[in-house]
Amino acid sequence: MTLVAKSHRVTVMRGEYHVVHEGDVVLTTILGSCVAACIRDPYAQAGGMNHFLLPGNNVRQSLDAQSYGVHLMELLVNGLLQRGAHRHRLEAKLFGGARTIEGLSDIGAMNAEFAETFLRNEGISIVGGDLGGDRGRRVEYWPLTGRARQVMLSGDKGFVAPVSPRQPPVAQSGGSVEFF
Amino acid sequence: MAFLEHFKVLVVDDTTTSRILITDALQEMGIRKIAIAKDGEQALRAMMEQPAHMVISDFNMPKLDGLQLLKAIRSYGPTRTTPFILLTGKGDRKLLESAVALGVNNFLTKPFTTPALKKAIEAIVGVLK
Repeated sequence: MTLVAKSHRVTVMRGEYHVVHEGDVVLTTILGSCVAACIRDPYAQAGGMNHFLLPGNNVRQSLDAQSYGVHLMELLVNGLLQRGAHRHRLEAKLFGGARTIEGLSDIGAMNAEFAETFLRNEGISIVGGDLGGDRGRRVEYWPLTGRARQVMLSGDKGFVAPVSPRQPPVAQSGGSVEFF
Repeated sequence: MAFLEHFKVLVVDDTTTSRILITDALQEMGIRKIAIAKDGEQALRAMMEQPAHMVISDFNMPKLDGLQLLKAIRSYGPTRTTPFILLTGKGDRKLLESAVALGVNNFLTKPFTTPALKKAIEAIVGVLK
């Protein structure tokens, strides 16, 4: 974990998490079928982001794959609690979980479902975000204000999923939308 | 079979999803009697009221953490020798040394697989069957 006190941009890579407790920091990541959970306690002035992809393509039946995801979620939540956050005040935004590869099982949807189930189990409310679709995203998150912004990446493969479980709120290619 | 029917495990973790996953894994191994606690304090109360044969506990928890729970369990007569498996984060050497000094029986680094959990249990109680 990296603790950030200065004002700057931090990229959260897959398998990582970052917690911010002060300073004007923006956390950023690029997501395909991976999911990033952006969680904060608005009163404790602590927030952070993780970025995970559950291993394997049959996550629903694999305890071990879920164990990996739970671990990354726990690290983020524990990092926030250690900085004065309270579990019942946490609020989350989820991004990612796209179906970016044709023909394979929908790994993105499984990642998204895992994240939603985890937050529901832990009683953490989901206050925004954007999951699913067939394109990657670049996400920026300001953990202390809770502001989030995503830019949909243009579909370089020209692939359009036949059935998308969730439609992103922005239809235009390369558009950006802010999530408060 | 008789062993698995009576063997009772207490799972302690403040993350609901972790408790569910560990419980599922234990059931997959054939363990039927599983008690759960969401923090060290609740676990200690459970061990005093209806002791389990083994405790599998997370370290990072509110109220009593895993080490404090281990210490309390070791200092209470009826549970002084109850097998205790501690679940920890990566590379926490100091924590492990403290746990060993307090009499931990085994530990697992998160995230762990079901076979690794089974191995950790079997290292203490023998092959589960």
